[in-house]
Amino acid sequence: MESIIKLIGHFHPLWVHFPIGILLFAILIHGLSSWEKYKKLEAALPFTYLMGALSAVFSCITGYALSNNGDYDANLIFKHQWLAISVAVISLLGYVFIKTHKAVYLKWTAFVLLILIFLTGHYGGTLTHGEGYLTKGVFVEDKKVIKNKPIIANVQEAVLFNDIIQPILEEKCYGCHSSIKKKGKLRLDAQEWILKGGEDGLVLHAGDPLKSPLYKNILLDPVDEKHMPPKGKPQVTEQERRLLEWWISSGASFNKKVKELSPPSNMQSVLLAVQNNNGSKVQVQAIPTAEIGPADQKVINGLKKMGVTIVNVALNSNYISANFITVPHANDTINDLIKKINDNVVWIKMPGMVFNDPLVNVLADCKSLTKLSIENTNISDKQLAILNDLHELQYLNIVNTKISLNGLMQLNNLKKLNQLYVGQTNIKETDLARIKTVFPNATVNFGNYNVEKLITDTQILKVPQKK
Amino acid sequence: MSKQNNKKIIQEANLETSHQITRKYFFKECFSGIGAMALGSMVGGCDWLGSKDSFGNFTNTNPLMAHAPHFIGKAKSVIYLHMAGAPSQLELFDYKPELLKLDGQDCPQSLLDGKKFAFIRGVPKMLGPQAVFKQRGQSGAWISDNLPHLSTVADEISFLKAVQTDQFNHGPAQLLMHTGSPRLGRPSIGAWVTYGLGSENSNLPGFVVLTSGGNNPDAGKSVWGNGFLPSVYQGVQCRSEGDPVLFLKDPAGIDRDLRKASIDAINEANQLTYNEFKDPEIVARMAQYEMAFKMQISVPDVMNINDEPAYIHEMYGTHPGKASFANNVLLARKLVEKGVRFVQLFDWGWDSHGTDVSNAVDIGLVNKCRTIDKPITALLLDLKQRGLLDETLVVWGGEFGRTPMQENRDGKTLPFKGRDHHTEAFTTWMAGGGIKQGSSFGETDEIGYSAISGKVTAYDMQATILNQLGFDHEKLVYPFQGRSFRLTDVHGRVINEIVA
Repeated sequence: MESIIKLIGHFHPLWVHFPIGILLFAILIHGLSSWEKYKKLEAALPFTYLMGALSAVFSCITGYALSNNGDYDANLIFKHQWLAISVAVISLLGYVFIKTHKAVYLKWTAFVLLILIFLTGHYGGTLTHGEGYLTKGVFVEDKKVIKNKPIIANVQEAVLFNDIIQPILEEKCYGCHSSIKKKGKLRLDAQEWILKGGEDGLVLHAGDPLKSPLYKNILLDPVDEKHMPPKGKPQVTEQERRLLEWWISSGASFNKKVKELSPPSNMQSVLLAVQNNNGSKVQVQAIPTAEIGPADQKVINGLKKMGVTIVNVALNSNYISANFITVPHANDTINDLIKKINDNVVWIKMPGMVFNDPLVNVLADCKSLTKLSIENTNISDKQLAILNDLHELQYLNIVNTKISLNGLMQLNNLKKLNQLYVGQTNIKETDLARIKTVFPNATVNFGNYNVEKLITDTQILKVPQKK
Repeated sequence: MSKQNNKKIIQEANLETSHQITRKYFFKECFSGIGAMALGSMVGGCDWLGSKDSFGNFTNTNPLMAHAPHFIGKAKSVIYLHMAGAPSQLELFDYKPELLKLDGQDCPQSLLDGKKFAFIRGVPKMLGPQAVFKQRGQSGAWISDNLPHLSTVADEISFLKAVQTDQFNHGPAQLLMHTGSPRLGRPSIGAWVTYGLGSENSNLPGFVVLTSGGNNPDAGKSVWGNGFLPSVYQGVQCRSEGDPVLFLKDPAGIDRDLRKASIDAINEANQLTYNEFKDPEIVARMAQYEMAFKMQISVPDVMNINDEPAYIHEMYGTHPGKASFANNVLLARKLVEKGVRFVQLFDWGWDSHGTDVSNAVDIGLVNKCRTIDKPITALLLDLKQRGLLDETLVVWGGEFGRTPMQENRDGKTLPFKGRDHHTEAFTTWMAGGGIKQGSSFGETDEIGYSAISGKVTAYDMQATILNQLGFDHEKLVYPFQGRSFRLTDVHGRVINEIVA
């Protein structure tokens, strides 16, 4: 019996559209039929009203069956339920007025019904889609409403549940398990609800994550019916999963601070990530942020003909990467062509290129350049200095060139430079401190790696001799 | 002289075509023409290579021309190191001290019920880890003493410890890993990438394959095939010993000018045929002739490791002139440096069943490890010092894992310690190319039998590789037989947990 009621309930979201549609149509017919042209429609009015009223009654029944599973906010259910019942009653009343030819009453009935249908529908929508669904993302101001994760300055001082666990639950679980929806009769938006559990019993067994559905269901296969969050919804990340696991295994305390729980060594890196992940992380841009128009197609075709591999960095970007790997010498034609598209070029690869002053001057005018690979070239310190105006430059590769420390230090305008490859040059690891004075944010790679020689490298293991 | 020759060839070709135009052909042409017009107008808006390369050009002139990806990718090229035969995760990366305690005991029935193994029959014994493990680097990754060199660069690597597959035979499992289907016929990942991105170096193929270990992988050349993509995207197998590419040399008495003239003539004829039939395979064939001609010069050059300095040979453990995995790894670095998009290495001999000393987990496997440990470590460091690691994605893995049980082929005890094929959990890793440094994703249970969290599949790895190159794996598609195909079929999730 219970399962039949459940089944009937599941028809509610489908069925509700009948009363809405039919009754609105009835009201439309009513309105139009006062017009001489549509007078004939009046004949359909009693039937339409009756159908609308009956479907409204049936909607109420299915709705009641659905509300019994307790997944929804009681307050909203109450409003939705009584508004819906009044829709059913008033539409029946309307039918009676038509049959008894009380045209004045019918007008008022239609007006009230219209308002009631909209209100009922709105609360129904709120129940399924959540509060604020209607206006979400429509108005710009809404963006401010999105709550930022609390900033954690010192993770050791943070209260594990309030500052770390609750935000995870809020982001990943509240959608279905909080005041608005209570899927499986489970709420996770306060300590008492979490401890109370849902229709299948407790969700939290302090000290034993694998016995706690709150954690265990996250581990289930994504296609498993019980996997949480359900397939298609934002999933719990690896970091969040480990935090939840530790919170439960450490006793699922609701008020202890991280340091009081003496986190094990394998949690330290995760906790540190929480502290560092305060949303203030500066994203390094691979290309300049400024918009730019498309480069001249003729110029690009010209460069391609000269053997340069030239391609947009992405389909939706007009910035260009140019690879001169098959071009050992630049010439005037190439130089002129690059000049014509110099604002579009962001990445240049010229390994082994024979450098001369005109080419360096052309490069110096590529002001959007973020990545420049000129390894294995003959570029001189003097020529390198000309590149000091490439303000966007982030990556510079001068491996196996004659560049000296002083040559590199000339590039003191390149504030964005963060990756520097200087292996096989005259620049040595001992120069790091000096390099850092000019490029404080740069990772400098000096190369010179070697792989240690071990006896086992060339030994071949054989079957041990039996004694 | 050569112009006259060209004319003759074209005349002959024309004659041949006119022979083929029959009544049937005429009707077919009429109907398919109308059909194609209708179809063309229907799909006109959604083709991706046809008219929408990065510059809005039609690309039918050179299918290997460089293309822009969907979004800015972190990696520009990929080196995929496949240990064919499936290395044992339990002796390399997945440390299971609990398994040691169970060593020699009967495998519990619960692990066998309803399961199928390639060779295990009846009740096998559990087999503890046959290697000493330590935590390495700042990340604390567990790596066994079988890989002492790789242990020093653990902080460059992201491990995937709960990879799963549904194929327990080598051929299908390898195909699944590389083509997204355990059955023949799909393009390999290298072919997809070359199709999507083209080549950075017009003198070299976009997708190169190198094999070592004495055998080709069980799945054969289909693991680097082009499937239904134009054949210009298939992997070009090169050799590190003798001629790098077979049948590329000119025959005696043919000089380079004559060769050039003959290719020009053939391509001119092909161009006319293309103008008439618009079959992309013709363009592919033309591009291949051009490529082969260029490769006659460029390949012997790039495939020659003799000129590498001594410290490089020392670092990789390479010996020029010998066929070895180390030589192939060094070549992979050279190829990537020259702009080759996808380099696929297969090393055969990782099938540690324990039937023979060469595949015993405590002897043969250790020897295999010694052949790859140094070169792979050198590769990561060498790419790094050349400023290439950030834009080169290095992937390492096999086609499946190995059982925590000792193999008892046909219910008998084998002469050596070995493990059977295992599909439910194994380890692969990625490094460079915008992958997190020093991280690990996924966990297995206490004995390494099944994955308990962070499960990933071949599709997820493929989606991640494409993502690093700047592709949405759901949008890199090719229309074939009436529908759009993609590498990951209907599966795949980018493993964001290991993306930096």
